[in-house]
Amino acid sequence: MNESILFFTTFILYIISAFFYFSFLFSKKENLARIGFKFAFSGLLIHTVALIWRTVESGHAPFTNMYESLSFFAWSSILAYVIIEFKYKIRKAGPYFMLIVIALMALASSPLMPKEATPLVPALQSYWLWLHVSVTLLGEAFFAVAFITSIMYLVADSREKKGGAAKSKLSADKLDSISYRCIAIGFPLFTLGGLVFGMIWAYKAWGRYWSWDPKETWSLITLFVFALYLHTRVVMGWKGRRSAYVAIIGFLAALFTYFGVNYILSGLHSYA
Amino acid sequence: MKSLLKLFSSVKLAIVLLIIITSTSLIGTLIPQQRSPSEYAAQFGQLANLLNRFQITDLYHSLWFLALLFLFALNILICTLTRFPAKFRKAFQPKLIKDKKNILVLKIKDSLGKNWGLAKTKEELKRELSSRHYRLKEEVEENKAFLLARKRTLGLFGSDFVHLGLLIILAGGIISGFGGFRKNLTLSEGDTLDIPNAEFKLRLDKFETEYYPDGNVRDWKSTLTVIENEKPILSKIIEVNHPLSYRGFVFYQSSYGWDWTNTSVGIWVKKRKDPSFLRKIDITVGEKVSLEGENIQISFIQFIPDFILNEKNEAATRSLQPRNPAAFIEGWQEEEKIFSGWIFSQFPDFSRIHSEKETDLSFELKNFKASQYSGIEAAKDPGVNIIWLGCTLLMIGLACAFYWPSREIKIILEETQGKTGVIAGGIASKNREDFQSEFDKIMTSLRRLR
Repeated sequence: MNESILFFTTFILYIISAFFYFSFLFSKKENLARIGFKFAFSGLLIHTVALIWRTVESGHAPFTNMYESLSFFAWSSILAYVIIEFKYKIRKAGPYFMLIVIALMALASSPLMPKEATPLVPALQSYWLWLHVSVTLLGEAFFAVAFITSIMYLVADSREKKGGAAKSKLSADKLDSISYRCIAIGFPLFTLGGLVFGMIWAYKAWGRYWSWDPKETWSLITLFVFALYLHTRVVMGWKGRRSAYVAIIGFLAALFTYFGVNYILSGLHSYA
Repeated sequence: MKSLLKLFSSVKLAIVLLIIITSTSLIGTLIPQQRSPSEYAAQFGQLANLLNRFQITDLYHSLWFLALLFLFALNILICTLTRFPAKFRKAFQPKLIKDKKNILVLKIKDSLGKNWGLAKTKEELKRELSSRHYRLKEEVEENKAFLLARKRTLGLFGSDFVHLGLLIILAGGIISGFGGFRKNLTLSEGDTLDIPNAEFKLRLDKFETEYYPDGNVRDWKSTLTVIENEKPILSKIIEVNHPLSYRGFVFYQSSYGWDWTNTSVGIWVKKRKDPSFLRKIDITVGEKVSLEGENIQISFIQFIPDFILNEKNEAATRSLQPRNPAAFIEGWQEEEKIFSGWIFSQFPDFSRIHSEKETDLSFELKNFKASQYSGIEAAKDPGVNIIWLGCTLLMIGLACAFYWPSREIKIILEETQGKTGVIAGGIASKNREDFQSEFDKIMTSLRRLR
């Protein structure tokens, strides 16, 4: 028994969950969605064990290379989804959301990502690694849920406009307000983890809290896009389609901050 | 002036500025910043001049970017200030609603009737609201009563805290930018350096590199001593993530390297025709030693840590890391130079020895040793505490606004012929779904009461 077996089991559970969720989508049997959720939830539990295992085995936080951080991002995404599903019952978002999680897990297990736990370079040896990365990725996980519900909003909205009444309890209106809720949860987390904790750590490690490093700049861009979302919505009364587009752009910016910067732009954040 | 004030109090301007700042910041991540003019010329050709003229090569420190940030700050300030008085009155001098119409326009609303008198209905309602931590304000007129129930009023001011925090962060950034100071110091063990603009000196007592079993670096540790008026004041071992702070200065372990000017090497001397012949010599740059039993002296002229031949076919170093160490040696017989050339530690068979005179000797560079120096960054940043203050306010504000949203329930009770009608409406600054369910629970429990 080791971490990779646990990781693989988790992956399988997520795939089974997606399978049931999609059967629910086509057959409209609520029961199938409930089974899908149970598989996703048990995946989350095994995944938690896998992450703890990895931490104990390597002796450091389970997000110091791309494999680990993708796995952790998948974990926090499922966690965010479970919380939102529990509160707002967004079953229909399940199948699409599981696709994102499976994509993350597949990327993590691709041979391009070195799996072995390497000892930490000096700059990463700090408890701020825990705080900075985990809180940021949890914030981004809520943005991921908002991304899915925003896309679903756009689809549901055009269907309702064509005259079709809301097919399920998850109407376009409800999707719009769930997207907003997710961003309202994710925004403070992302600001705290990504920006504030990042600045404190940068100050401790590099002696400057802000260097306009591409990753820093992109996290600021992400923050600004979501600030735009909140201000247009709260102060200017934007709703619906326009808000959905901003939420989608915001998540894409977050994704670029997370992946793109590492592979396309170079800078201080070269390790992960 | 008035129209200018109006412009700066508009959220639309804030949104336009946000979009401009976001897209210009984005450009700065696509075009490399603060490089040399020749790099821009090579990458962008004709465009390089244009980039330079508009300061896009150092965008984040350009005057126009600072001006944008300044306008943004002004906009935030005026937006917040112009909205504050009304918000303050709303929070601390709230008015009771006496017209039903003002409740019926609210999104969250409900009405019900009870077979009780006004007083009893009001008391039951108040008890329900208090048990949910609502603070109450009431007024009674003949057969009517007006209630205002509120909680988490602090949530109303979340955005003000956020904006204040942002302004403080921007101010801190400006103070760091203009009042900050940083300098790279290189110290070898035993060195003492004057710290610029400070009344003290810094001594490096010890510098060591720790390795993991696999050979990767675990940490760099420098033992530093602060010396003031020729007296040692304090000592601390600094490492990455653990700097030394003293009198507003912070000293970071930022780099390391070797002082190659005094490198010592170990050289093995062999004879091609005599496999049993082996002499080991240890020699430092600039020294000359005699080879035991031979009429020859070896002179160690130069050491190069990362040997390459440059365009002019001269020996040069590619970096300061010992990736391809090479030593230049000469062999002398009395006053006559008989050979000279490079030997390489990684390529023992590939020596470039030019002989003036026939010689049977061959040389291998076996090991090398140079003293390591510690790269320490000295920084003084008067803005940093202001930044932390701003961040704290920012986070308090975000927590108030998003996790502690204010809730308000307005109620009108009216008694007719012994029965009381209740009309209630609610407002939540965020998270209406949760508020709606609380509101429904309050109304349901009142309905159920007998």
